[in-house]
Amino acid sequence: MSVKYRVEMNNISKSFGGVKALDNVDLHVKSGEILALVGENGAGKSTLMKILSGAYRKDKGSVMLDGEEVQINSPHIGRELGISIIYQEFALVPDLTVAENIFLGDIYQKNGIIKWNTLYEEAGKLIESLGFEINPRTKLKNLSIAYQQVVEICKALSEEAKVLILDEPTAVLAPNEVKLLFRTLKTLKERGVSIIYISHRLEEIFEIADRAEVLKDGKLSGVVNVEETNRNEVINLMIGRELKDMFPKRDTEIGKDLLTVNNLSNDVVEDISFSVKEGEVFGIAGLVGSGRTEIARSIFGADKMDNGEIILNDKNINTKSPKQALQNGIGMVPEDRKEQGVILTMDVKTNITMPMIKNISRIGVINRNQEKDHSQNLVDLLNIKTTNIHTDVKNLSGGNQQKVSLAKWFGINCDIVILDEPTRGVDVGAKVEIYKLINELARQKIGVIMISSEMTEIIAMCDRAAVMYRGNMTGILNKNELTEENIMRLAIGEDGNNG
Amino acid sequence: MGNIKSKFKKGLHLFLKYNTEFIIVILIIASALVSDAFFTERNIFNLLRQVSGIGIISMGMLLVILTGGIDLSVGSQLALGSVLSAYFLNISGYSLPLALFLTILVGVLFGSLSGYLVSRRDMAPFVSTLALMTITRGVAFIISEGSPIIIENQSLLGFGTNYLLSIPLPVILMLFLFIIIIFILRFTVFGRMVKAIGSNEIAVRLSGINKTIYKFSVYAISGGFAAMAGIISTARTGVGSPLVGNGLELDAIAAVVIGGASLKGGKGTAIKTLLGVLILGIIGNIMNLKNVPAYPQQVIKGLIIIFAVLFQGFQSKMQDEGV
Repeated sequence: MSVKYRVEMNNISKSFGGVKALDNVDLHVKSGEILALVGENGAGKSTLMKILSGAYRKDKGSVMLDGEEVQINSPHIGRELGISIIYQEFALVPDLTVAENIFLGDIYQKNGIIKWNTLYEEAGKLIESLGFEINPRTKLKNLSIAYQQVVEICKALSEEAKVLILDEPTAVLAPNEVKLLFRTLKTLKERGVSIIYISHRLEEIFEIADRAEVLKDGKLSGVVNVEETNRNEVINLMIGRELKDMFPKRDTEIGKDLLTVNNLSNDVVEDISFSVKEGEVFGIAGLVGSGRTEIARSIFGADKMDNGEIILNDKNINTKSPKQALQNGIGMVPEDRKEQGVILTMDVKTNITMPMIKNISRIGVINRNQEKDHSQNLVDLLNIKTTNIHTDVKNLSGGNQQKVSLAKWFGINCDIVILDEPTRGVDVGAKVEIYKLINELARQKIGVIMISSEMTEIIAMCDRAAVMYRGNMTGILNKNELTEENIMRLAIGEDGNNG
Repeated sequence: MGNIKSKFKKGLHLFLKYNTEFIIVILIIASALVSDAFFTERNIFNLLRQVSGIGIISMGMLLVILTGGIDLSVGSQLALGSVLSAYFLNISGYSLPLALFLTILVGVLFGSLSGYLVSRRDMAPFVSTLALMTITRGVAFIISEGSPIIIENQSLLGFGTNYLLSIPLPVILMLFLFIIIIFILRFTVFGRMVKAIGSNEIAVRLSGINKTIYKFSVYAISGGFAAMAGIISTARTGVGSPLVGNGLELDAIAAVVIGGASLKGGKGTAIKTLLGVLILGIIGNIMNLKNVPAYPQQVIKGLIIIFAVLFQGFQSKMQDEGV
């Protein structure tokens, strides 16, 4: 038998309880090939990759590595065989240095004493080989998410990974960082590493992948050569229907100024001024770490501001706590839904009613009927796919978790809703629904502030958008000025240096 | 074959899910088998009376643990409650209601101090309540000048020994507080926020909720409950003693944990906590009936804690694997 593929997974099946997560799925990848693995949330991508990396055991099927059948019964065996997986949530230790993190599994040592110089040197070389400048002595927690990801990739390389699995690596990256990642991946590809790339972002797949495998409802929906296919075909395979328009139209009349921010400064941003009108979707673009989230958090009272004023409905409110923000009619959907947006271990109704629980209680006792009605209405309105309102949020798919995080601010008379990366890590179908919900918010004359790393989203959804660069607002673009070039120019500083 | 296997798995799952209930049923059956004295009305009520103090303290501890905190000061708080109730009655000469009210109030105030340090000063609960533990014990010694205060108030002594509908009064107090905690956890905003904070504090804050007040309150309640347990101690023994309640905080934590609560917060129920209290109580009771010396008792108690928590580990692992 000739060795054609680096990895061959044949007829893989896996069930959880009674639910079939994977049903006879095949996956083949050659050395030096980038295979995109796509599909909606819950299609089985992560399960398949967890089986390949050893985190789950398959019920049925076989896995071959370089033509030989292997039993990958634990992540440890997977790594020894050269299979590395990089999850969205990194497996890194924040309080250790970059170098220690990279060599965590096999640290340079002699008789139990760490050889610090070698450690830093080797880490530096690895980082450099990918074209980055990161000080190996820096503590990991001081790095941006994008750089932490680089550290993760270096860690995989230090273990001599032959197969590198990336689970939505760009979900946390800004456009220029994505370019860096792609450059890195191409370098790895030239070295003969097989890369399996899980993503929701179709444009990336067309840019980086050689082939794309599409899963749908736990089954193999199709494998296509990227050069011979197009967006619509892939979307068809993913959801079994055509998406005529990713971005639903919005005809909302934009009203008077609702929120005005004057000269806002905090630890990260400086002298930020802008205003948002009734029924307007106001975007904040820029790279990760440019201060977008910090603006949102100060307006919402989650971080304190050093200077400036926040005026809502002609009233100076200078929010000092999220509670005060809520009382003034400001809601926020935070960027990190699992850590900040929802409580995973509590049920849908508890999460949805969290900000308005006092409205449906009397002398501290919750009115259970009102609670049920309110959350059921929102589950219906937002089309949240859940068994019922008593299901724990952790059992929902990412897109539906995000809808729960959004639902909290529906129907409680908010004037302003801030959305921080509302579609991060969400599949195409759920994305469209979230866009519709944003339009619905605007239709209710709510001023929407939308922070996003996806330029297409900013361009298609926003009436105006501000662009951030290193804590400063470098410009506000009107609808007709919203182009990728304009946003990029402002996002890397107006003088157009490499950024 | 597969059928038997799946039945076995189902049975195992049921067992793990209801492991606290299983343990207590097995314990009761075993106790009844080894000792004729166990299933007498007198022994059962003795047992319940003995656990009433720890039962009350465990209810407060449950609230604290649900927020992800811990309260190490409850044993000392019990001693202070015991000393103060006797002091107010005998030395200050206050009326019984006033003396009891003041005792509980001081418990709440000492608990509030922990609550303040945890919720407003971001101090680790382990550290702040550890400090309060020694402070409170010290205050109990200072007030009592190191020796027990004997009480003569017949009403309070009666509370320790009398019955209502043939149930000892301290047991009634424990059950009353138990029902209140059930109600709070099931039906009130307070109970929900306590659990939510223990599950994800950041998400609670970003939902526009002032988490400080809830984190503060659980320690105040825990302090008040410990003071009540101190009053029961005084009523039962007839003395206010600064020595009582030593190491009791660990029993309370054990009861909550045996009841399936997570020390990380967010998970735990009042009913299971009460079962945890009873499990510890029955073990002590049956070993006393069988004249097992105190030292082996401690070893057995520790083993039970290990097994209970191990079972819970299996259970959550099986849930993760979707069994």
